[in-house]
Amino acid sequence: MYSAASEEGCHLFDPGCKFEAPGTSLFFPNPWLDFGLPATSGITKYTLVLVVALLVAAGFWYFTTRNAKVVPGRGQSMAEMLVSFIRDQITRTTMGKEGDKFIPLLLTLFLFIFSMNIMGLIPGLQLPVTSNLAFPAVLAIFVFILWNAVGIRRHGVGGHIKARLVPGGVPVWILPVVVPIEALSNFVIRPATHMIRLFATMFAGHLLLAVFAAGGWYMFNLFGAPNAGLGLLSAGFSGIALIGFLVFTAFELFIMAVQAYVFVLLSSIYLGEAMEGAH
Amino acid sequence: MIELAAEENILRIHWDEFVFGSIAFLIILGVVYKMWPKLTSALDERANQIEGGIERAKKAEAEAEEIRQQYREKLDEAHRQYAAELEKAKEQRAAIIAEARDEAQAESRRIIEAAHQQIEADRQHALAQLRTEIGTLSTDLASRIVGESLNDSGVQSRVVDRFLEELEQAEGADRAEVR
Repeated sequence: MYSAASEEGCHLFDPGCKFEAPGTSLFFPNPWLDFGLPATSGITKYTLVLVVALLVAAGFWYFTTRNAKVVPGRGQSMAEMLVSFIRDQITRTTMGKEGDKFIPLLLTLFLFIFSMNIMGLIPGLQLPVTSNLAFPAVLAIFVFILWNAVGIRRHGVGGHIKARLVPGGVPVWILPVVVPIEALSNFVIRPATHMIRLFATMFAGHLLLAVFAAGGWYMFNLFGAPNAGLGLLSAGFSGIALIGFLVFTAFELFIMAVQAYVFVLLSSIYLGEAMEGAH
Repeated sequence: MIELAAEENILRIHWDEFVFGSIAFLIILGVVYKMWPKLTSALDERANQIEGGIERAKKAEAEAEEIRQQYREKLDEAHRQYAAELEKAKEQRAAIIAEARDEAQAESRRIIEAAHQQIEADRQHALAQLRTEIGTLSTDLASRIVGESLNDSGVQSRVVDRFLEELEQAEGADRAEVR
C-alpha cells in the first residue's frame, strides 16, 4: 500500500518484529547519483518528482492555452478560470488593477506549487516536492527579491527601506524598539515563514499519511496471528487505518490547494505592500 | 538509514536542489509568459466581439427606430396626401359637374337659339316664297278677271309690289298688335 512502509515487510505478531513509525528518513531518499559535494543531495527521488511536477505544470498551461480561441474549449476555460480566480481573488483584492501585471507570475507560482504538492498523492511518486525546504525556498526567495525590487523601483532604496522599517503613526520614542523588530520581521522572519509554512504543512501532511499507511500495513496480520480473533482484530484496526489514510488523503488534497493559494496570496500581499510604500 | 536521517537536518536547503527548483520555476514561468499573449489576445478579442456585438445591436436598434419613424411619417404623409387628393377630387367633381351643367345649359340655349333662327329663317323664306306665289297667283287671277291688260310685266310687278307693301304694312300693324 505504501512504498516506504512496505519495504519493511514486517507485521504485527511476526517474531522479532516491532513497529517502526516512519520518520524523517522519508524525506531523505537515497541518491541515485551522488555528486559527492558538500551540501548536496544528488539526483534523488525529489529530482524525478520535480521533473514530473514541472512537466505537469508547464504542460497544463501549454496545452490549455496553445490554441486560445475566442470561444474557449474545455481546457482553455479551465485556464481562464484559473486566471480569473487569481485576478479576482488575489491580485485585485490585494493590489488593485495595478497588480494585473503580476498575474502571470502568481499564476506560475500557483501552478508550480500546486503541482509540486499534488505529487504527494500520485501513486508511485507519493512525495510532495514542497516537503523539501529547498523548493519552497526557491519561490519564497524569488518573491522576496522581487518584493525588494518592486519597492526600490517605486520608492527608491531609502523610501523602500524606510517604509519597511518605520511603521506609520508610531511615536518617535518607541522607534528604537520598533525598527529592529520591523527589520527582523520584514527582512528575515517573513521570507523564512513564507517558505517554511508551505514546507511544514506538506512535510507534516506527508508524514501523517505515511504513519497511517505504515500503521495499517504493520497491523494487518490476519493469518500470522496466534489465533483467529486477534487476526480479525488486527485486520479491523488495519481497516480503520486505511479509512484514516483515505480521509486524510482527501484532506491533504484540500490542504495542498489551500497552501498553494496561501503562498500566492501572501506573495501578492507582499508585492502590493512594496508598491504601496509607507502605510 | 535511520542513523543517516538523524544526522540530516529537515530544514536543509541543498544548493543542487535549489538550482533544480529554480530551473523548473523559470521554465514554467517562461511557458506561462510565452503563452500569456495568446490567452489575453483571445480574451481581448472576445471582449471586443461582445462589445462590438452590443454596439452593433444598439446601432441596429437605433436604425430600426429611425426607419420606423420614417415609415410612420411616410404613412402619415400618405394619409394626408390621400385626404388632400380626396378633397381635390371632390372639388374637381363638383367643378366638372358645374361646368358640364353650364355647358349643357349653354348648349341648350344655343340649340334653342339656332332653332329659333332656323324657324325665323324658314318663316322669312316661306314668307318670301308666299309673297311671290301670291303675286303670281294674284296677277293670274286679276288678269283673268281684268283681261289681257296686265300683260306688261313691268307694270304688273310694280302693282304687285305696291299691293304687297300695303299688305305688309297692314300685317306689320297686325303683328305689332298681336305682340
